[in-house]
Amino acid sequence: MTEVKAELVGNVWKITAKPGDDVVEDDVLLILESMKMEISVTAPRAGKVKEIRVKETDVVKEGQVLVVLE
Amino acid sequence: MSDDYSAKLADLKTRRQKNLAMGGKEKVARQHERGKLTVRERLDLLFDKDTFVELGLLAQQQAVRGGEVDSDGTPADGVVTGHGMVDGRQVWVIAYDFTVMAGSMGAVGEQFKAARVRELALRYRKPIVWLLDSAGARIQEASGSTFAGTGFLFYDQVVMSGVIPQVAAMLGPCAAGTAYIPGLADFVPMVKETSSMSLGGARLVKAATGEDVTDHDMGGSQVHCYESGVGDNEVADDAECIAAVRRFLSYLPSSNTEAPPFRDTGDQADRAVEGLEKIVPTNPRAAYDVKRVIKAVFDRDSWFEIKAGWAKNIVVGFARVGGHSVGVVANQPQQKGGTLDSDSADKAARFIRMCDAFNIPLVYLMDVPGFIVGSQVEKEGIIRHGAKMLYATSEATVPKVTVIMRKAYGAGYYVMCGKGYAPDLIVAWPFAEISVMGPEGAVNIIFNKQIEASDNPDATRGQLIDAIRAQINPYLAAGWAMIDDVIDPAETRRVIVRGIEQARNKKIDRPWRKHGNIPV
Repeated sequence: MTEVKAELVGNVWKITAKPGDDVVEDDVLLILESMKMEISVTAPRAGKVKEIRVKETDVVKEGQVLVVLE
Repeated sequence: MSDDYSAKLADLKTRRQKNLAMGGKEKVARQHERGKLTVRERLDLLFDKDTFVELGLLAQQQAVRGGEVDSDGTPADGVVTGHGMVDGRQVWVIAYDFTVMAGSMGAVGEQFKAARVRELALRYRKPIVWLLDSAGARIQEASGSTFAGTGFLFYDQVVMSGVIPQVAAMLGPCAAGTAYIPGLADFVPMVKETSSMSLGGARLVKAATGEDVTDHDMGGSQVHCYESGVGDNEVADDAECIAAVRRFLSYLPSSNTEAPPFRDTGDQADRAVEGLEKIVPTNPRAAYDVKRVIKAVFDRDSWFEIKAGWAKNIVVGFARVGGHSVGVVANQPQQKGGTLDSDSADKAARFIRMCDAFNIPLVYLMDVPGFIVGSQVEKEGIIRHGAKMLYATSEATVPKVTVIMRKAYGAGYYVMCGKGYAPDLIVAWPFAEISVMGPEGAVNIIFNKQIEASDNPDATRGQLIDAIRAQINPYLAAGWAMIDDVIDPAETRRVIVRGIEQARNKKIDRPWRKHGNIPV
């Protein structure tokens, strides 16, 4: 299991993956909006999306778990 | 030749051969089993063929305060010292030999051999390279309060800092007695798996705090090149490590009194840069890999990145433009949106100061949404860290060229060598945005009451944002001549070459002071 965390504080702008999706390394899971930029959160490795712990417009903190890969 | 004469020569030959054989066949085999080269194989890779001149080959352990001497002798006392040529330029070396008492620093090796290299490298103003593979201090020679008389090596390194380039190549363990060598060096490549550095080795840590940890887990390249930032470049093996040392030195002068070496790269200085339209999105919110921009702009195959694995939201490294060395400082929109934070400011400040110390012009490629803000980063001391980058950029008196590619926001614009930081040339690409803050943030602050009073706050906010956005393109700044030009991105290379050329004989006079007080 791998926890994918926010690397900086921001808003969840778009969620592009859903639970059950098979992803490969570097696939975009969701996009944060912070500091005037769209910041893609990508899969650190291949796997299946187990859980998405945020919803769009949520404010997230640095280090917060966003997605869990199986 | 008399018998006595040839006997004496034979004795000399035997002594030399014994010490050239290092710790003996068994120890050399173990060194190879660990995936490491021997110290002499490393020196063959470091220096141009047949240029190594060894000083102190016949040194060996001497009895300290009535202590016993190793019965085999300690060939070269565990550290090979001397000088040789790297691309035809003299470089001094202190190379620890792990096959001799684990490369430990003995009284002869440290106080006489290594000290002599430091003294001569500084005397001749030539770079110094440490090849580190050492268990640290040789405790049996160092215990007792004569420790009071040690520590000169770090003092010497500080005196040499900014005068001659210092490289600490991490090829094995480097604990305690030796760990501040990389801590003070200008360049620290680390071999994956076999190298480590820590203030206390695993056994000392266990004794001091009870923590169970290995040298590798505590201080391998996976820690120092990705988390701590103490290591610079992670490399696969000894050969790659030494190649990185030679490459690093190729961008630097032998000392701060010389210009960096010119190397003909065969890449035309004022050619147009091709393909940028495929790399850089005009949508200011979209990310891209700034390293692709760097590779397109500078001389082919000349990019040598430093600290690639740490604080990746800023990219620093050496390149050449028309054959001349430059230091590149570039925001990386692909990492944290290119936002600056504590580690990235530290990384940039350290690199900028190295370039400035060694007369290497700086090129800033700017695309920065600002410094990260918020409660978390204030606790880290973001103001103190950001101030280092402000300090380094202000302090630098080498030629400085600033290219505003896209975003130039807030203090990010300042630390990336904005107009106030004495760039010799500052230009913008046509889609640059220059502003104290983003339009959305500005509108919320400036027009807060107006928006609240509006019948349709969202529409009013949208109109105000559009009005501000129209003012942040580069033409207002260019109209005021606050920036020198707006350029076609394809002209970037030509502009950098000319900006550096224009400033080549630059002299900056500042008020006398002993030294400034950089925030640390």
